[in-house]
Parts: sequence; structure tokens; C-alpha cells
Amino acid sequence: MAINVNNVYQTVLLILNKEQRGYMTPLEFNKIGAQSQLEIFGTYFESLNQQLRVPQPSADYSDRVVNLDEKLAIFKEYGNATYSDPVFKLPSQPSGSSSATQQFTAVNPGLTYTLTGDALALSNAGAISNVFVNNIELASTAYSISGATLTLNTQPTAGQIIVVNLYQKEFYRLGQVLYQAGALPTEEMQRVDRGELYHLLSSNLTKPTTVNPIYTYENNLLSVYPTSITSGVSVSYIRRPIPPIWAFTSGQQYTFKVTESCNFELHPSEQVELITRILLYAGVVVKNQEIIQVAASQIQQENMNQKS
Amino acid sequence: MPIPNGGLITETNRQYYAGAQQFTIGSTGVGQTFTSTFDTNLVFGNSDPATNDYNLNNFKIFTSPDANVWTELNPTSAIASTTGTTDNNAYGPGAAVTITITVANTDILAGMTIVNASTGAVYGTVTTVNVGNTTFVCNLSAQIPVSTGLRFQFASPWTEANNIITVNASLTAGNYIKIQMNESTLWDMHGDYSYTRLDDIINNFLIAYVGEGKLIPSVKRTDVIFHAKRGLQEFSYDTLKSIRSQELTVPDTLSLIIPQDYVNYVRLSYCDTQGVQHTIYPANLLSMRPYASPVQDDQGVPTQDSVNSNIDGTSGITEKWDNNNPRKISGAYINDYEIADIYWKTYYDGALGQRYGLNPETSQRNGWFIIDDRKGLFAFSNNLKQKNIILEYISDGNAYDLDARIPKLAEEALYAHILYAVLSTSVGIQEYIVQRFKKERSAKLRNAKIRLSDIKLDQIVQVMRNKSKWIKY
Repeated sequence: MAINVNNVYQTVLLILNKEQRGYMTPLEFNKIGAQSQLEIFGTYFESLNQQLRVPQPSADYSDRVVNLDEKLAIFKEYGNATYSDPVFKLPSQPSGSSSATQQFTAVNPGLTYTLTGDALALSNAGAISNVFVNNIELASTAYSISGATLTLNTQPTAGQIIVVNLYQKEFYRLGQVLYQAGALPTEEMQRVDRGELYHLLSSNLTKPTTVNPIYTYENNLLSVYPTSITSGVSVSYIRRPIPPIWAFTSGQQYTFKVTESCNFELHPSEQVELITRILLYAGVVVKNQEIIQVAASQIQQENMNQKS
Repeated sequence: MPIPNGGLITETNRQYYAGAQQFTIGSTGVGQTFTSTFDTNLVFGNSDPATNDYNLNNFKIFTSPDANVWTELNPTSAIASTTGTTDNNAYGPGAAVTITITVANTDILAGMTIVNASTGAVYGTVTTVNVGNTTFVCNLSAQIPVSTGLRFQFASPWTEANNIITVNASLTAGNYIKIQMNESTLWDMHGDYSYTRLDDIINNFLIAYVGEGKLIPSVKRTDVIFHAKRGLQEFSYDTLKSIRSQELTVPDTLSLIIPQDYVNYVRLSYCDTQGVQHTIYPANLLSMRPYASPVQDDQGVPTQDSVNSNIDGTSGITEKWDNNNPRKISGAYINDYEIADIYWKTYYDGALGQRYGLNPETSQRNGWFIIDDRKGLFAFSNNLKQKNIILEYISDGNAYDLDARIPKLAEEALYAHILYAVLSTSVGIQEYIVQRFKKERSAKLRNAKIRLSDIKLDQIVQVMRNKSKWIKY
């Protein structure tokens, strides 16, 4: 479930070069690709808010709320908040290397391979991964990574090169905060502002308990009430998309290097809009007004279709 | 259906009726955990009956080799303790003292407390068990004399946190362990199905009544909690059944402290020798307890003490009331026995309707009570001295966690109450919608009152049968 970065780049180049409008380098593409991906990703939240206020048809594939949720589902995460007296720290906060690559030479028999160094650190932090065997990317169901161990489902041929790329997850938006202690039922926490907090703590009817806990969210930290809660807090959140990488080997011309590349993480249905947005910026880069106008009008048209 | 299968009942028959949950021990070892699935949360103080905190527990842990004969798991039970005798050396005190016992014992485990088998004096704890099970590295706080009979036991053979029990003692595969609820906890559990917990009401409300496309698109959970609790309070006053009561004895002081969770009384009565209740009436028109009785000077002006507050004296009215003879107020005969036995009375006792023109409000021999708001007391007339009193009263449903529940017969009324409360305090809701839910709340509350009033057809028929009697006059 991703958009192939090479397909997008080649399509952009094709449209740009059709009438010798100019050329976009891989480095420019990577920057603009990341920008476009974030732009599209950022519209999901406002679109969802708009669509929630509109009655939706119940027919399959036409419910815009469901469709938007499907696009967001790629980035939905769930993790534990770690207690650091007196607050809880959110998961997936950037620290250390943002990405790592490790390479193995396949042996037979040998389904498991041990990660080390930055790859191990990122794996322990629950990083996003992709694995290539003999330059072919494996489906996420064809392997698993747990701690230091990469486990392949099928035996590779001895001597084949296995490449593991790991990318750090980065926290984007906070969703629900839940509390569970031992075998007690899970309780959803209520987010409150600092102003409300004092009123709530003062009222005997609404003061927080372990059954009705509350929290404030300030400076990327959770302050949980009652303060007797020091563990068992987990959060659902949205992470940022991993920036795309069109990797290449330098030489006479840019040659695509699949094992070091990273695809766009957006839903495949976003491919057209993604290319259009990249073209919009490409038009600015190559200073071609026609490209800018065509791309801008297409984006506008698409927005109208999606929201009317 | 003995096994819960996804319905509202989540406890097995054994859990509900016997208050027990049994586990088969899968493997031999220490530190095994067992998860309670009772609807009632476990409360843990200590696993040693010798400690005061043990009384906080609302359950006990038993073990059995055959699920037939059960032994409570405590520090001295066989499964959590064992014995041994030291050799001809004295040991300790010290942080890492290696002691030797005469006979190898595989039941001695790290973490066990070492006590004198005879006196119970504590020597220290085992930190490491050496190979061979005859020598042990121990942390000793007192010296162990030569050839001392020792008992090795877990000071805390099990612990509990958040409904998960961890057994520190070594359990044997194939044996059994069970959680047994205490009797008073079991009383609370019985009949619990007729109630819904307030927390469930709040969650159900948020699921069913709040969300996009509904009248309430979003609401803060704390708002719902507030309205639910307020609703429970209001319902407690006039809709829900009064289940609070206390049996008390009136002391010589003729006063009893108002219960901690008291909101209002339903009835006070005393019990005669047949166990029949006789209603005690408030002495509203007869006397009262003054809120303050300031000491006055010759001019009638209250006098003050060294911190400029009025000096509070003794109430003369109270003294007189406490020493009166209630029979002189009620007009009851001296030989009128205070018992609901009609055969005690004869025509010659003058108790069979021969007295006319009495004030019915005061013509009763049951006695009176006064509420002393200043001191938070119920005060009784002196004919009730040393009598058994039953105080029936209402609370507000929020005093204890166990109270935070509502009869299922009034569940819908509480949803309607929360819905109306939220809508009526939200901006942008049309008044006709608010009024609609106001009516709905009122109708559902009325339904709840009728349901909870326990009107049964057979009982009505029985009352009506009485009407066919001749009315004598």
C-alpha cells in the first residue's frame, strides 16, 4: 500500500519533458515529493471534519468519511506513554538516527538475520521498515522484524543480498489516551485545558478518579490526573509520513537504486493528485507558467469533486 | 447457562453463587499469576492474617491438591513454608551469610523469611539457594544460635494488583488455586444483576447518543459524568428504592449520630419483642433542639468568650424534653404493653377504642424523635431508651463506589435525564427539541417510579380481598 516513487518520478519527468519544458533532478524531486506528500496528508484532517458534518451514503466505496479514514489508517499508530515523574512522554518522539540500512548476504538454511547498531535501535523503537531480497521489495506480510531479529517467511537463495531499511516514526497528532491497570477495564481519558482542570479538581462530582481519569496536553507531554496513575497509559496517534527517496547511483546519468529508495506512503488513490501537486511545484522550479496553471486548475477541480 | 457467552452476565455460576473462581495450576514454579474475572474488583491489604491490613482484603486465596480439601494460602501454610535445622554453628548477623541446614530441603526458596520455628523470632531472609539445597546465602538481622529449628516462610505468599494475583510461593502443576470472596463482598455481589454501573451508563450514553449525525455531535465526558451523577442523586431522593437502613440501640444519652451517607430519613421505628416495627414520629410540634443556646447576661444579651464568640450554654429545653414522661403527652395507659400482640389487651385495659377526642398526632405511644442539626444527631424521647431502633434513610448514590449504580428499571430514565440536561445546556439547540426531551425525561422518570414501586397484581388482589369484610362500627 504505497505509491511507487520511481513511477511518480518518471511520470513527472515525462510530462515535464514532453515539450522540452525543463528537467527536475532527483534531489529536487525528493524535496518537492516530501512537500507534496505532506500537503496532501495535511488536508485529510480538515476534509474529515467537513465530511463528518455531511450525511454520507451507505453504499460501498462511496462513503467519503470511510474513504478518508482508509487513507488515514496508514498513519494510525498505538503506543505506550512512558512515565517520567510527574508527566507521561508520548511515543515516537524523534531521537537518534532517523533512518538506518543494514545489509545481509542470505545463507541457506537461514530465515533469521540479526540487526545491529542503528538498525537495532530503530527496530526497538518500532520503526517503519522495508526489506529487499535480490533488489525486489518484499510485501510486509513476507517478513517480520522483532527486536534484533529479521525473520523471512520464505528461504532466499544463498548469496542473495538482503537489504533492510528502517525509518523512524515521528509523532504528528494525538488521538485518544487510554488507561488500563492490570486486569481492570480500560478507561478513556478526557483531555482538559489547564483552566478547566482547576474546576474539575475542585468539584467532588467531577474530580478525576482511576475510573474517570483526565489529562492535560502541554509541550508534547501528558499530565495525568489522578496523579496516582504512573503507568498503563497508552495513546493512539497519527504519525508523519516518511519522506520519499528516489535514490540513485551517480555517473553519466541518474540510475534508480531501488534498495535505497523509499516509496510515498500515501494511499494509492492519491497517485494522481500527488503527481499533479509535484508538477505544480515543478512548474515553479522550471519557471513554466503553463504547467503551474494546468496543475493548479486540476487540483482545484479535484478538490471540488471530493468535497461537493 | 453456566459459562458466560457474550451476554451481560460475565460471571460463572460458581463465581456468583459461591463467590469462588478456581484455576488449575499449569506448571510448577514461583511467581505465577492468576487473573480475577469477577465483576467486583479485588481489594488487597495483605496476605498475612497476622497483619491488620489483612482485614482490608475482600477475598482469600486457597490452594488444594484435589479441588476438594482447600487450605488458605498464608505465610504459615504448608505450601508457603517449610522447616529446617541449622548445624552446630551460629550464624550472623550479616548481609551475605551462608547458613547450613542438616537436611537438604528443596522447598526453601529465595525470598523466604527465616523465623525461629518455636518462638517466631525473625532472623532475616534467604537471598540465594545454593546447589544441594543445604546451604543458603542469607541476609540476617539477628544471630541464629547453633542447632536452631527454623521455619522458612514467605512473609507475603501472594500479592494482588489490579485484579491480578501473583503467588510468590511455589505452586505445583496439577494442583488447584481459588479466589474466594468474603461473605460481605458476596452479599454485595448477589442481586447485582438488577443494577447497571454508572460507568457503563456513561459509556453507553457516549456511544448511543453522541456523535456525528446525532443531536449531540460532541460532549465532554466530564459533562456526562456530572449529569449522570446529578441524575443519580435526584433519582435517589424520590425514585429509587431506599435500601439504606441501620439497626441501632438508643443509648442512655437518648441520641444517635446521623449516618455518614445520610441525606434524609424515610422512617424511624423501634422493634418490640416480636420483631414488629413501630414507627417513631418526629416531635415537630412538641419540641425541638435549638441550634444554639447562648449564655445571656442579666439584660438578655449573649456573652462572649476570649475569642469574641458567643458562649454556648446547655439547652434547658433539651433537658426538660429528655426527662419528660411521653405517656403524659400521648395519654397512653401505664399497663399498655409496647408490643404488637392484640391478645395483651382486654376491654378493661381501656385500649379498645374507648377513648374519644384525642389529638391523633400525639396520641401514640411509640415515642418521638428530634433531629439535632447543630450536633448532627437523632435525639429520642426517653421511653425509647435501650430500645432497638431501625433507621431507614436515603443517600444520594454517590457516597461509595458501590453506590454508583442504578436499577435497570430506571436506566432509561437516567439516559433521558442526561440527554435533556446536555441538550438544555447546549447552545444552538432549538427550544422545541429541548422541550421534547424534557417531556421524555418526565415520562421515563414516571415509568421508572411506577416500575420501582413494586406494585404486584397478587398483592393488590390480597389488599382488595380485605375490602369484602364487614366494617364494624
